[in-house]
This record gives sequence, C-alpha cells and structure tokens, in this order.
Amino acid sequence: MVLEVKRPRPMWEILFSTHHTDVGLLYLIFSITAFIMGGALAMSIRTELFLPGQQLFADSNTFHRVFTVHGTDMLFLWVMPLASAFGNYLIPIMVRYQDMAWPKLNAVAFWMVPVGAALIWMGWADVTWNAYPPYSIIRAPGPAAEMWIFGLKILGISSVLGGVNFVVTILKMKHPDLPLMKTPLFVWAQLVTSLMLIVSMPTFAASLIMLYTDRLGVSGFFNPAMGGDPIAYQHLFWFTFHPEVYVFLIPAVGMLYEMIPKFSRKPIYSYASGVIAFVMLAIVGFASWAHHMYATGMNFSEKTVFMVGTLAAVPASAMHVFNWLATMWGGRVKFAAPMAFTIGGIILFFGAGAGGIVNTAMPLDFLTHDSYWVVGHMHLFLMGLITFAFIGFIYYMFPFITGRTYSEKAAMVQFWMMFIGVILIFFTQHLLGLYGQPRRTFDYVPVPPLIMMNQISTFGAWITGSAAALFVANLVYSVGWGKPADMKDPFHIGEQYYDYRRKEPHH
Amino acid sequence: MGLSSNLLVIGLIAVAAISFVNQSFAQSTSTPTYARVEIWALFYRLMVIAFVVGALVLGVIGYIVWRFRESHPKNRVPTREPLEGGHH
Repeated sequence: MVLEVKRPRPMWEILFSTHHTDVGLLYLIFSITAFIMGGALAMSIRTELFLPGQQLFADSNTFHRVFTVHGTDMLFLWVMPLASAFGNYLIPIMVRYQDMAWPKLNAVAFWMVPVGAALIWMGWADVTWNAYPPYSIIRAPGPAAEMWIFGLKILGISSVLGGVNFVVTILKMKHPDLPLMKTPLFVWAQLVTSLMLIVSMPTFAASLIMLYTDRLGVSGFFNPAMGGDPIAYQHLFWFTFHPEVYVFLIPAVGMLYEMIPKFSRKPIYSYASGVIAFVMLAIVGFASWAHHMYATGMNFSEKTVFMVGTLAAVPASAMHVFNWLATMWGGRVKFAAPMAFTIGGIILFFGAGAGGIVNTAMPLDFLTHDSYWVVGHMHLFLMGLITFAFIGFIYYMFPFITGRTYSEKAAMVQFWMMFIGVILIFFTQHLLGLYGQPRRTFDYVPVPPLIMMNQISTFGAWITGSAAALFVANLVYSVGWGKPADMKDPFHIGEQYYDYRRKEPHH
Repeated sequence: MGLSSNLLVIGLIAVAAISFVNQSFAQSTSTPTYARVEIWALFYRLMVIAFVVGALVLGVIGYIVWRFRESHPKNRVPTREPLEGGHH
C-alpha cells in the first residue's frame, strides 16, 4: 500500500514532489483546510442571521465580504481541489501508468492553487462569487476586487492545466491492454469533468480580463455608461459556471460508483448506463446556462430552450440514482461511514433536484429568483450530495492512504449530525425563499416566521459546524494514533477491493 | 415494453402536456387571467408531483436500506460467494 502519511519522510520531500500520490495528498490536505476555513465563515454568516438587525458584523459591507470569500473558497478551494486530490491519487493507478502524463505540470497546477487562495483570502472582496457588473466594475472597492479577479484567474489556469493532464493521462497513457470501457467509472467521471473544464473555462478567463480592463477604465464591455452590456457578462459567466455545476457534481458521482458496489457486495448494476449518463450530463450541462438569467428580460423562446435544456439533465441524473439503487438491491449492504454518507448524499441529492425543477420552470423562477430558495437549492447540491460523497470517500480511502483506521463511531456520529444539520439549514432556506427573504442580505424583516426559520437554519448550521470539527478531529487523531488497518480488508466486507496500490517506487 | 405500450405512454404524456400548456399559457379566453394565481397554482401542482415522485423514490431507498442491510434476519449469512478475480 502507499502509506503516504505513515511512512516517515521529510516534509520537504512531499512538498517538492511531483509524484501523483504526493500531489494528491497535498491537494487533499489543502482542500480539507479550505473546507474548514470556508465553513467557519458560514458559521459566522448564519450566526449573524440568527436574529434580525446587526448581530456580529460591523456593517453590511463586511457581511458581503464574508459571504463572497465563503462562496469562492468552498467552490474553488474545497470542491475542485478535493476532486483533483483523488483524481491525482487514483487515475494513474486506474489506467495503469506510472504517474500523470506530465508530473511537473501537475505539481505546478497544484502550487498555483495556494497562490490563488492567498489572493482571495487576503483581498477579502465583496463582489459575491458571481462578480456581476456593473457593481464589480464601478463600485467594488479595490484592490480587493482586483485580487479576487487575479485569484480566480490563477485558479482557472490551474484547473485547465490539471484538466489537460487528466485527459492526456487517461486517453494516451492508459495501458494498451486496458480498454476505456473496462476502466472504473471514476476514470470516466474524471475524463468527462476534465473535458468540460477545458471547454468551459476559457470563456470565464476571457470575461475576467474584460472585467479587469473595465475596472481600469480602458474598456467598457460591461459598463452601461460606456455603451457596454452587463448582461453579456452574465452569459459569459454562466456559460462557464453552469457546466461547472456538473464539474463539481460528476467527480462525486464517480466516487459513489466506487463505494456503492463495494459496500453492497455486488458489482455495479449497469456500467454502460453510468458511462452514458456521464456523457449525457456533460452535453446537456452546456445547454442550460441561461436558466440563471430568466429575470433579465429574455424572450419566451430563449427561456423555453434553456428550460428544456435544463430538464434534459433530469434523465441522466435519474440514471445514476437508479443505477445505485439497483446495485444495492439484492445486496448485503454494510453501513460503514462511507456508505452512510453515500445514502445520505443520495437522499439530499433528490431533494436538491426537486427544488431545481421548480427553479427551471420559468414562471416559477420568478417566485424563487434571488431569494433564499436559491441559496437552499445550491447548497443542498454542494453540501448534500457533493460534500457527503467527498467525506464518505475520504473515509473510504483513509486506510489505503494512511495505513490506519479512523474512528467508526465518531464518523457515524458526524454523519447523523451533518445529515440532520444540513436538512435543518437548507430545507428551511427553501421555505425562507418562499416567504420572500432575499439572498445576500445582512438583515431581514423582523416578523415571527422569518425569525423562527432563520433560527432553525442557524441551529442546523451550528450542528453541522460541530460535525465538521469532529470530522477533522477524527482524521487528525486517526492519522497519528488510529489502529493499524487490515490492509486486505479494512472495512471487513469480506470481498476483494480495487487494487489501489502504487506498485512502482516514487521517482 | 411492447410498441403498443410505448405508443400509449407517449400519447398519455402528449395529452397531459397539451392540457398543461393550455392551462398555463392560454390567453384567448374572455375571462381575465391572474398571473399570480396561475403561477402559484402551477407551483402547487408541480410540488404535488415532486412530492409524490419523491415519496416513491425515498420509499424505495428506505426499503432497500432496511431490507438489504447486513443485519437483516434474512441477510445475516453471506448470500453469495466473494467475487473472484477482477473488481467491480
């Protein structure tokens, strides 16, 4: 086994390594750190909203800065690096190659992430994670906004470099005796995700430059005072970031395909339908960006096209869910922590999908647009399926990476706290939206229903925050003092595992 | 599912869709249309559908979790031999 943590090695050897398991480990540690930092900001946001009026922050501008950094951190420093962590760790092993195609480029892609993160955290911008003009080009204070733009720019380049490396590793470095249709679905997930990133990211890269030159006053692409169109930015932004939703989602789905058959003690019900659903999601992911913009005055035909395009994602998502359920059906399911997080994630995924259908039905979108419904919906995806799958997969890979076992009891307590906490936070936020509370507001109308629901949501956040603290404590303690794992069967399932071993020595 | 069943399902969906579109976007009637009422009515209809489908799927998930857990009386003894050779 690759005992990246247990085997004593000087820190600098890992930090300056280009080996894919080392780079994967760095991504993993970095992303968990970002998760905790972003989560701390989330706690402060919910604490501020526990009661109407000013509670915690000095003014609304500070509140805007906090949720901007929270959103940017969670999306670009937790979700994306975590997918890269396990992609780096597993893809070369799964395609039977000695490393990523370009190991040095891979290390460069990782080391760009802390640089981008530093710009975002030190800049403390208030532009929201969308950075919509005209605010972001006319009023947003600098140099925070500039630092945010350059931070995102660097993270985008890092993503494209990583994506190109994954595509080349999978398609060109794969062992010639290994057909693509025999690789695990996790490989397909990484391949599809990387291709989507490569196609979508340049649009946002261009719009960031346009945003920057607009701020400098040398152009007016999005500045109405100079004849520009702020809506054009929204098109460019969402052309990248609606596909990005699937870039966040698909690696998590790939991880579930690793865990569900193992803990069900059964093969995947339909490998082919998993592949087809990945490809379908990748295609329809590009057909729905403007559903974020119904309220901008699009005409009926445009809205219809994007509504249908969005609904086309439902069959593909349902194929995955039914594939998982059919895999479990007739199995002998062991509910260790990874599987508990998997089941919890699927349930929350279903709730998020149901809310999304309401968002995409264009007449209904006007009810929910810019309200707390949207906050509840997107967080149910990100915190529900994606984060649950990620945490489950971290527990699943923990023995293989460290050679030790984590505390199963603590992990199950964490699961139930997070499951209940997430439901309390985000289901309640859907109702808050229907009651008319706008998103991104420092204060709200002091009426009993809003106060009560905000308090339920905040209470859920405190439970979830405590669970996240337990998660980190469990990992840190178990890395150092956990029981040595039975490396042939760390979860006592009685079946064979995928051969996650790195056989070649580090180079 | 045979061809006739497929045609039947397609026909049913088409009829339902026509009714849905007429109700939602009909503009030519003499009675005034109140957009707010129509939208909320559509919202409640969709939510009923979503909750019914959701209840069915969550019910299936609940059944699978209960019936196929390894501690279920019918599942305590391994029901099949471990896979030999490859993975998945």
